[in-house]
Amino acid sequence: MRIILSSTPMKQIGLFISCLILLLAFIFSIAIGQTSIPFSSIYDAIFHFDAADKEHVIIRTSRFTRAVIATVVGASLAIAGALMRALTRNPLAAPDILGINAGAIFFIVSAITLFSVQSLMSYMWIAFLGAGAAGAMVFFLGSLGRDGLTPIKIVLAGAAITALFVSFTQGLLVIDEQGLQSVLFWLAGSVSGRSIEMLVPVLPFILGVTVVAIFMGRSINILQSGDDIAKGLGQRTMLTKITLGIIIIILAGSSVAVAGSIGFIGLIVPHMAIQLVGTDYRWIIPYSAVLGAILLLSADIAARYVIMPLEMPIGVMTALIGAPFFIYIARKGLAKNA
Amino acid sequence: MPNYVSVRTKTNRISFQIAKRTAWILLLLSLLLILITVLGLSAGSEFIHPVTVVKELLGYGNGDYDFVLHTLRLPRVLMALLVGAALGVAGLILQGIIRNPLAAPDIIGITSGASMGAIIFIVYFMGSVSIQFLPLAAILGAGIVSFIIYLLSWRKGVTPIRMVLIGIGISALAKAVVTMLLVISNVAATTKAYLWLTGSLYGANMQDVYLLLPWLVILMPLTFILARTVNVKELGDEIAIGLGVKVQVYRLLFLLISVMLAGSAVAFAGGIAFVGLVAPHMSRMLVGRSFAGLIPVTAIIGGIIVIVADMVARTAFLPKDLPTGVFTAAIGAPFFIYLLFRTRNQ
Amino acid sequence: MPKLSLQKKNFFVLFTLLLTFALLLVGCGEKTSNSSSSQENDKAEESNTESESSSREITHAMGTTTIEGTPTKIVTLYQGATDVAVAMGIKPVGVVESWAEAPVYNYMKNELDGVAIVGQETQPNLEEIAKLKPDLIIASKVRHEEIYDQLSQIAPTVAHETVFDFKGTAEMMGQAMNQEDKVNELLGDWDTRVADFQAKIKEKLGDKWPFHVSVVNFRADHARIYVTGYAGSILSELGFQGPKNLTDDSLEIVKLTDKESITQMNADVIYMFMENDETVKKTYEDWTNHPLWKELDAVKANQVYQVDEINWNLAGGITSANLMLDDIYDKFELEK
Repeated sequence: MRIILSSTPMKQIGLFISCLILLLAFIFSIAIGQTSIPFSSIYDAIFHFDAADKEHVIIRTSRFTRAVIATVVGASLAIAGALMRALTRNPLAAPDILGINAGAIFFIVSAITLFSVQSLMSYMWIAFLGAGAAGAMVFFLGSLGRDGLTPIKIVLAGAAITALFVSFTQGLLVIDEQGLQSVLFWLAGSVSGRSIEMLVPVLPFILGVTVVAIFMGRSINILQSGDDIAKGLGQRTMLTKITLGIIIIILAGSSVAVAGSIGFIGLIVPHMAIQLVGTDYRWIIPYSAVLGAILLLSADIAARYVIMPLEMPIGVMTALIGAPFFIYIARKGLAKNA
Repeated sequence: MPNYVSVRTKTNRISFQIAKRTAWILLLLSLLLILITVLGLSAGSEFIHPVTVVKELLGYGNGDYDFVLHTLRLPRVLMALLVGAALGVAGLILQGIIRNPLAAPDIIGITSGASMGAIIFIVYFMGSVSIQFLPLAAILGAGIVSFIIYLLSWRKGVTPIRMVLIGIGISALAKAVVTMLLVISNVAATTKAYLWLTGSLYGANMQDVYLLLPWLVILMPLTFILARTVNVKELGDEIAIGLGVKVQVYRLLFLLISVMLAGSAVAFAGGIAFVGLVAPHMSRMLVGRSFAGLIPVTAIIGGIIVIVADMVARTAFLPKDLPTGVFTAAIGAPFFIYLLFRTRNQ
Repeated sequence: MPKLSLQKKNFFVLFTLLLTFALLLVGCGEKTSNSSSSQENDKAEESNTESESSSREITHAMGTTTIEGTPTKIVTLYQGATDVAVAMGIKPVGVVESWAEAPVYNYMKNELDGVAIVGQETQPNLEEIAKLKPDLIIASKVRHEEIYDQLSQIAPTVAHETVFDFKGTAEMMGQAMNQEDKVNELLGDWDTRVADFQAKIKEKLGDKWPFHVSVVNFRADHARIYVTGYAGSILSELGFQGPKNLTDDSLEIVKLTDKESITQMNADVIYMFMENDETVKKTYEDWTNHPLWKELDAVKANQVYQVDEINWNLAGGITSANLMLDDIYDKFELEK
């Protein structure tokens, strides 16, 4: 494979530039929308906040929150995607394609409709549970049969589990018109209008596992060379795999609890990261985080303009960008490089 | 082998052998199907005695239940049977040519295409265009989307694996469009659309039956005949491209049949889930792997699943009449999980 | 592919079980079905004797329907129709379950005591309806278009285009039930009240009238402005104008996800309703504590009122419209 940034200094510079782009996207995400806000106001809103200034208020209470949530969710989903790709050695693995998002959504919807659970804190744990259940089922279903976890099998298993949880969710909501009307946007995936309080309980988890993931880069690289070799090099592969699984579940589960089902970030971003820095996971993970945040921020900005004056749910937006990409990879021939 | 029963027409043009075991199971399943059909007709907000049901159907009744039986329950049970059979066989074909036990019309994009067509109709045309055209919109959606999937999968021939993956991708795209429409449409349209997505035989009438029946009457025997002439397993091979044009043509034919079966069923019943996935497995458990034998068995099992699901949907929460799709998932999913559990022990 | 094979023995056990189960069902069912069917026959005879021979043709959203005499056993398939029937002093023989306070709204609980519920508004149970042997069914095209033929076979069925137009519903039901006088009286009373309100509000507010009004609703994950539809059409009949800064007024309901859009709610008076639910309360608190909310004219003038979700949105009938008008009288402190 042709790698764009081949030497270490170039990778460092690349990451630095990506961070700058992220900052830029973040600022743009704050500046544009229903009311355009001049950049000077953003600076003032941060350093000389004036509660009477409408623009300052919008920035602080709405735009900033939204941008932060998009950044965190984008980064989480992208890292989760990269790790899933590593775990399954499958370029099409991503939390939404493998049914993890659908699992978390079903668990939350059933908690709300069947058990009247209403605290944000419990949503998070329930989302973890759902993500875990779905992940385990897909992993298990995909590894049945003689040839083990082939890419095609795991993707199909993911599609089947997605169908399972989606139809359960539909079953719960179809008889409850009021309930359905209430969670439409969350079901579709949305970073807008979420309050920062929703992010606060999950943030420590996300940050914690992200740090762990970055430090695991080396072990993941070893794992890539195959179970036997990894064992020969003294790695406890099972432990590595389980840790990766838990990290994925926490990242994807928290994203769903905060923003609902947002697809394809976990698919596209790791792919881009690999094109940039090659197959070294020590670099792929930080790159994925930054690029994922950039992508979701940009998608969120675009979502504000596509059907003005309404906003397109961001989950729809990412699917519109991501699905063609998925098809592109599938066409390129998955069987050969996996 | 002595364990076969031969069936042939006088001219020997159509002849085939069925394993004795398969023949027995077919017979038993047919009996079970009849039993469940009668039960389905008996069950409702008022239980009608099965004997009465049979009398009424054969024309010896006193006409007490004319309306409930002939206008309400019979079309619904018949639709359930047809829809289940069509979805089951569509799934069987897909699992055969893709050689993966998880392939099914609701997973590789056919159902999502139909959903997109139907929801576009519900959101933009309902009210101005008669709702009778809803199935047409759905089947158009299924056809167009399947065509696009096939087209995109073409690269010096179509391999099943590529097609599945592209199907999943296109499916995601279609679902995004549906989600979008659900969010922006008004309350009544959203509810109607959601009902459709879940799949429901509610309000089925005899006209629907007459419209759906021809598809099955033509496609089922066609599948059977094709299955006698081609080795289906061969069609799933990656290397089959090397086998030349013939494989491509047969593969396309089978796919076309599968799309038409699933598309027509979904057009009338909405996104009924899991039947296409689960029915072929159940029949494989019963009669093994002979594709030709699997076709009728799968059709019957698919029919039974949907009849039972619809029976539960109509009666379990009286006076509510719930969407059938909720219960096909409820029947299909546990079996699916059981499959997982079973294979773990092997 | 997993290897699957069920042993013959298991299969037969399963089959026998199913068969036994089926036979049991058959055995138990025999007696009940006989007795209930004879009851049905009695009922049918009763209703046959009542019909008179005056027939009317009614044109509605699904075509033209001929109705004989004065129907007495009606089934209403949407909330607004149920409300109108009760307002006309008629207790339907069957109604659909209400959206909240199931099975029927509290404000009609006494009048509808013991009424048969025929399922949900989205998929009413046709067999339950047939069992009641009604002589008139009131349906709605948006909900029941696909079952209109079957409904018509049960009883003459008239359908209204929507579910929230209480006047249209009342007029249609008046014609169908041969009680146009009663309906004219109800609608006349309504018109009188509307005129009374307009006179009084003009007197009270002077030049400030007409007010701009927003009907706001909070959901678990977003907020809404109800622009047209049931509450919207009543408010505009009363003379109110819509929200001041709405960017798109073609929509029945504007769904807002971003608190930045609070400015779109701007009006002189805001009525808001919501479900009694913790997550919804959370959204409500988030939005109403937002600095932009405090910028709204209605908030500054202390003209924000919480109103009943059922009367203002879910019921869609004439009694509920009057209750809604009562609310508006009260909030403006006008003499009723």
